[in-house]
Amino acid sequence: MAVAKLEQLAKSVVQGPTMATGAVPNKDWMDVSAIFKPGNYAYQAKQEKVEYLNSQKGLHFPNAREWSPEDDDWKLPENWKEIILKGLKERLEKFRSLKIFMDCCVRCGACADKCHFFLGTGDPKNMPVLRAELLRSVYRNDFTLGGKLLGKMAGAREMTVGVLKEWFMYSYQCTECRRCSVFCPYGIDTAEVTMMLRELLHLVGVGINWILEPASNSNRTGNHMGLQPHTFKDNVDFLADDIENLTGIKINHSFNRKGAEVLFITPSADVFAEPGLYTAMGYLLLFEHIGLDYTWSTYASEGGNFGLFTNNELMKKLNGKMYAEAKRLGVKHIIGGECGHMWRVIHQFMDTMNGPADFMEVPKSPITGTTFHNAASTKMIHISEFTADLIRHGKLNLDKSRNAHVKATFHDSCNTARAMGLLDEPRYILDHVADGWVEMPENTIREQTFCCGSGTGLNTDEIMELRMRSGLPRANAVKHVIDKHAVNMLSCVCAIDRATLTSLMNYWNPGCNVCGVSELVGNALVMEGENRQELTEGLRTLV
Amino acid sequence: MKLDEAFRNYRDKIVDQWVDYTLSTYKASTFFKKETDKFANPVGGNIREALDCLFGLLAKQADPQEFVAPLEQIILIRAIQEFSASMAVGPIHAVKHITREILAKDKERCHLVQELYDFEFAVDLAVLAAFDLYMQCRERLYQVRIKEIKTGTYLLTDSKCPSNLLKINIQESIHSNSHSS
Repeated sequence: MAVAKLEQLAKSVVQGPTMATGAVPNKDWMDVSAIFKPGNYAYQAKQEKVEYLNSQKGLHFPNAREWSPEDDDWKLPENWKEIILKGLKERLEKFRSLKIFMDCCVRCGACADKCHFFLGTGDPKNMPVLRAELLRSVYRNDFTLGGKLLGKMAGAREMTVGVLKEWFMYSYQCTECRRCSVFCPYGIDTAEVTMMLRELLHLVGVGINWILEPASNSNRTGNHMGLQPHTFKDNVDFLADDIENLTGIKINHSFNRKGAEVLFITPSADVFAEPGLYTAMGYLLLFEHIGLDYTWSTYASEGGNFGLFTNNELMKKLNGKMYAEAKRLGVKHIIGGECGHMWRVIHQFMDTMNGPADFMEVPKSPITGTTFHNAASTKMIHISEFTADLIRHGKLNLDKSRNAHVKATFHDSCNTARAMGLLDEPRYILDHVADGWVEMPENTIREQTFCCGSGTGLNTDEIMELRMRSGLPRANAVKHVIDKHAVNMLSCVCAIDRATLTSLMNYWNPGCNVCGVSELVGNALVMEGENRQELTEGLRTLV
Repeated sequence: MKLDEAFRNYRDKIVDQWVDYTLSTYKASTFFKKETDKFANPVGGNIREALDCLFGLLAKQADPQEFVAPLEQIILIRAIQEFSASMAVGPIHAVKHITREILAKDKERCHLVQELYDFEFAVDLAVLAAFDLYMQCRERLYQVRIKEIKTGTYLLTDSKCPSNLLKINIQESIHSNSHSS
């Protein structure tokens, strides 16, 4: 009797419907279709945003229209299939890596369990190998002899609207974090497969608003929020005022100043949203402390580049703007703030797209004389590299006790860790500004770091549950150090992290705050002539 | 033989089956069942750890307040996954059936099935606590959304009302449950 009851319970519980795909699969993956319901997809791009982007020189965003992923009819162009296959053909010819990635996967499964989306959802289509297979199956069908002859037996399938919908669902359940690629014995970069899927979808007008609106804002006014120059300036001025109230130090900063030695570019979130604001205050204090000759720009007022999440043409255009501004102002080099994907663009794509930036000089710290040969071509260095070098040369007067309220751990941002190898600099800084900070477990940090779960433009609240699922592996590791070491601060060097990890902690580990490493630097700096109030919570103290 | 001794002897077996049953609710459950590193496998690792702890508490009919910590470890995860409320909480029940089945199969101990009332009552209390926790988690999730909206990112999006989304999900799950039965 007991057995029968358990079976009945299993039937009502286990085989019930699920929000995304209807049920526990009992069919081949190719026969399970993607079903869109509120909460399991990010909203489609608004018509006017697509129209605007399509009107811009060098960009191609066709088929602007009103549509919804929940509708059966996505109002695709009549010849959508031809467009997709032609787009794929062009990309296979243009990007050799794509061709190799399509051919060389042996489906060993090393990547399968490394994806935070898979670990949080248990959905097999979130295994990187299967996510890539969504594209590879079409590639086989139309571009390989085996696929043409053997069809489904060779893992090939025809491009259909159902396949396209599946592409949309799963290319937006990947944050292009590249953790899977660390484990691939063939070095397949599944993030690039996702990038290609997204590019192809844009060819038929399928994209999400949380990416295209910031991207179009960035193209228009220079930053994701669409802040106009005076507003951007006001926001930075407010931060300088706050610093003066807290520390008695008057900040001497400037905007769009020609002839400055350094142009400083950071994600705009640092100047308008908590907790990034405190990180920006950290930058201002640091530069004041060393008397750096630098300028902000109200035009290149965004480090982030949502083109990376869209297509290579838009990425190039948005990246080009930073360099155009550096040229206009005649600076010697650029220092970039704490951003994640900006650094992936700079380190992996900038040189091919817009480089080399020969009109600038190889970055050399005016304070220590260190030359940053690693940035010889891009002429852009990371604030953590710059700060670590200052500390190394004893140029900063730091008082760790000013961070006594902080018990920190450090989250390696996917892009800075895996795309530029910035692993030790932030740790070196933490060693000098925060007492007793601790590492999370080994398989969740450095190259193996887990994504915040909401990168690549998925930081939108309509998919909050999805974000909490994909952020589970990271939050789980944070919980471990909270339980073991009473950690109360998750530090990082990425603006998207600062926004998304805050929500992630609010759900999984309430009470754990998030900060940029530069905020902790700002807290610890002993400024000459300061009149510092009792700042029990550092720059966050309300006075 | 006494019931508490039977619980001690069969603890691993019962917990294994309970974990197996719970993880079977995931589409690709093989990995969740196999990988033992909690950081490589947060769903499987946390569920195993929490169910093991919970079984110890249920077996000694501990203060129901003590159920909260292990239950939270499970429900925090299941409340944001693709489950209706009943599906999220349901596997907690399963331990009743699993325990009965295991004891019934043991000829020397099958008489103990008659003595399971207190244990099963403790499971009932745990299930009720799990429902409370489920609602707390959903509430927390919506607070996270609201907080995010208040910090300004809403300028980039215009989401639908969260409570309405929950209502739609519940209605759909009721509808399909009645449909399938």
